[in-house]
Amino acid sequence: MDSHVVPETSKVSPFLLFYIIISIQIGVGVLGYQRVIAEHAGYDGWISILITGIAVHIVMWMMFKMAETTDGDIIKVHQYVIGNIAGKIISFLLIIYFMLYILVILLNYIQVIQIWMFPDLSTFWYTLAFMALCTYVVFGGFRTVVGVSFFGMVLPAYLLITLVFTFRYSNFTQILPILDHSLIDLLTASYHMSLTFVGFEIILFVYPFIKEPQKSKKWAHLAVLVTTLFYTFLAILTFAYFSEGQLQKTVWATLSMWQIVQLPFVERFEYIAVANWNLIILPNICLSLWVASRLIKRTIHLKQRKGTVIIAAIIPLITLLFKTGEQVQKLSEITQKITFGFVFVYIPLLFIATMIAKRVKKQ
Amino acid sequence: MVILMSIWDKFKKKNEDWKVLLKQSTDYQSTYYINKKTNNRFGFHFFSTLIDEQIIQESALPPLLNEEFKTLDDIKKIVPIADVQILEDTTKIEEKLLNGYVMITMDSDKKKYAFVAAQKEIVRSLSQPEIEFSVIGPKEAFVESIGQNLNLIRKRLPIKELISQEFTVGELSKTRVAVLHIEGLTNKENVDTVKQRLENIKIDSISDSSYIVELLSDNSNSLFPQLLDTERPDRVAAILAEGKIAIIVDGSPHVLIAPTTLIEFFSAFEDYFLNWIIASFFRLVRVFAVFFSILVTPIYVAALTYHFELVPADLLGTLVTSRRAIPLPPILEALFLELTIELLREAGARLPTKVGQTIGIVGGIVIGTASVEAGLTSNVLLIFVALGALASFTTPVYKMSNTIRVLRFPFLLFAQIWGMLGIVFCFCILTAHLLRLTSLGRPFLAPIYPLRIKDMKDSVIRSPLQNMSRRPSVLRTQNPYRFNSKKAKHNKDIDE
Repeated sequence: MDSHVVPETSKVSPFLLFYIIISIQIGVGVLGYQRVIAEHAGYDGWISILITGIAVHIVMWMMFKMAETTDGDIIKVHQYVIGNIAGKIISFLLIIYFMLYILVILLNYIQVIQIWMFPDLSTFWYTLAFMALCTYVVFGGFRTVVGVSFFGMVLPAYLLITLVFTFRYSNFTQILPILDHSLIDLLTASYHMSLTFVGFEIILFVYPFIKEPQKSKKWAHLAVLVTTLFYTFLAILTFAYFSEGQLQKTVWATLSMWQIVQLPFVERFEYIAVANWNLIILPNICLSLWVASRLIKRTIHLKQRKGTVIIAAIIPLITLLFKTGEQVQKLSEITQKITFGFVFVYIPLLFIATMIAKRVKKQ
Repeated sequence: MVILMSIWDKFKKKNEDWKVLLKQSTDYQSTYYINKKTNNRFGFHFFSTLIDEQIIQESALPPLLNEEFKTLDDIKKIVPIADVQILEDTTKIEEKLLNGYVMITMDSDKKKYAFVAAQKEIVRSLSQPEIEFSVIGPKEAFVESIGQNLNLIRKRLPIKELISQEFTVGELSKTRVAVLHIEGLTNKENVDTVKQRLENIKIDSISDSSYIVELLSDNSNSLFPQLLDTERPDRVAAILAEGKIAIIVDGSPHVLIAPTTLIEFFSAFEDYFLNWIIASFFRLVRVFAVFFSILVTPIYVAALTYHFELVPADLLGTLVTSRRAIPLPPILEALFLELTIELLREAGARLPTKVGQTIGIVGGIVIGTASVEAGLTSNVLLIFVALGALASFTTPVYKMSNTIRVLRFPFLLFAQIWGMLGIVFCFCILTAHLLRLTSLGRPFLAPIYPLRIKDMKDSVIRSPLQNMSRRPSVLRTQNPYRFNSKKAKHNKDIDE
């Protein structure tokens, strides 16, 4: 059977793209992006978030345009633009991209756990267990993966409400004066913000799995709008809560804000938040694992089950190489460059190439 | 030719076989009589344990003895019993005899066999539902006879569209299984799936409808029951009207409902007899009880093993005081108490009711207090475990409440390994598993995922009956509307 024909039964409704995108965008980055942007743009950082948000909307529009032109995923786009074999080679490289993605998310999350809760948590065993869980999800098919994204977004949503506790200690005038940083500063902060925003490029991979993909566009854009507003809101809340000097000393600002939450039966609420972050990470990893294994199937025609198991087995082994926090930091920085390059440089270039190819083929 | 001959031989042999086999049973009887008018000899062959002798004595024998008849076909005219069949096919003899028919043979007409229905039905009288008891509402429960159960359902749905199709499952038990649905309403695909799966079942005997549950389930390795079983005819009638399928198994007082969803297992049928606000409140209490029951001991173990910081100082004081003299780590303490409760439940379930009650009191009071006084467990945990057990029994469906009782053990294990993190991890596994589950191919978690806001009206809450004008969309029924909501009573505006 042709491997790129998707049976109708495994397709999902267009509005589910909303959950897919939100759940893959929100990940470990949320726990501490505020410090990084404040470092460059000060308390104007929230403007940088909006700038990144707008850029994401533009790239997303390009991706939909490409997917519509070829009526398929990125592999079809590659084949359309640069031919079959070369297209497959580039698509194959994307497998590594997604594996890197999984690795960075897991390593960063485990680092948070080790710092906040369990100093002696074994990275290897936890990764192994997590990958086993994700394999179980991916084996359930795309619908299950989307189901996990739905729950990964809906269940932890209550955490947002608990941030109300910070209002009492917040001073919203701290973000004034607005626009006292240069455009370059703002753009640098936007660049650093991009890692927190990426993930939405998944559209180029899940596109064939969506019923009536035309209708999904508005949901995708709505999703990006929601995450942009969420990040902005959280950033403003953080800036109002911490003073600028204090924020520079706070690596995981969001988590530190939860320390103020006090309930009659829970003292250190951030413990619950960190544990709950499992649910937020899960769709990230599951979607990436699904995409990576699907890419394996599409490029080298290995069964998706096998591909999933292979990736799930490799990832824990790679984590053994990372022993210190600095190494994880380094990997994150490299990944940031790669994802930025892929999403904001490669995809626009591919878009232009696709449009040219379309013109040429028409003539 | 040779092949044909051998088949013929086998056939003949088989033909002889059944006679030999039947005669081995002492309850198989053959008696011969002579008609008074024609002096024809005729014989009755039957299993005395399967037939009602009164029917033969009063209805079949007198006309056969006293009235004139020459061939077997005449029996139909003179015997006042509706179900009289004349057959020539010898292969059917065995089946008919074992189904409670009396076979009549005539010396003058050896090729034909007449069968007169004289089944003896031993039926238990109707009793009250025991597991799904409700204070308000009908008090009838299903019994073990398929005919009686069908009668109970048909009385509640007197429409010709209610179709009942029968299957025979089990090579030895030959259990009758009836599949019920409403034509023009129930999704055809679902009905076909059930029929297909029933036909594909390969098993020797069926003792209860639970066998069918396991054999029809999409994933029989799951802890969760994927078909709902009920003993209430009113519930079955209601779900048939909703567009679902009912499966009745002969010999089982539990009727199965398919497809089903997780939420349904937490709705008691009594909810529909109560005011909707009260019913919704009870449902919310039950959902809370489930989470409480699964999570309370694991959280205790996680908090006391790893996260003392999680507990506020005042509460920590109470916990520490109650645990001061306990030599066991929290996990062993929790396992000890959980297992005690399991033992009590199991002992209570195995013993006769009266002894069971005594065990409950002895166990609950004596063991509980004694283990605290002996310093094996803490007071606080005892309260948590007892409350957790109580909460797990609020689930209206027995099979689901068992599942919930078992579920806490993996949570306990993960709480011991990774604390709070482990609990959330285990929760992720549970969510993933539930997402993968289907009931007859329909998602088990509906209407939560896939999210169907319209179906939410009858899920964690029960909205007023007038508002539930649509059938659950996840069932894809042929007619999505229960009734016309516009024609239904609607609120008048002020001063109308």
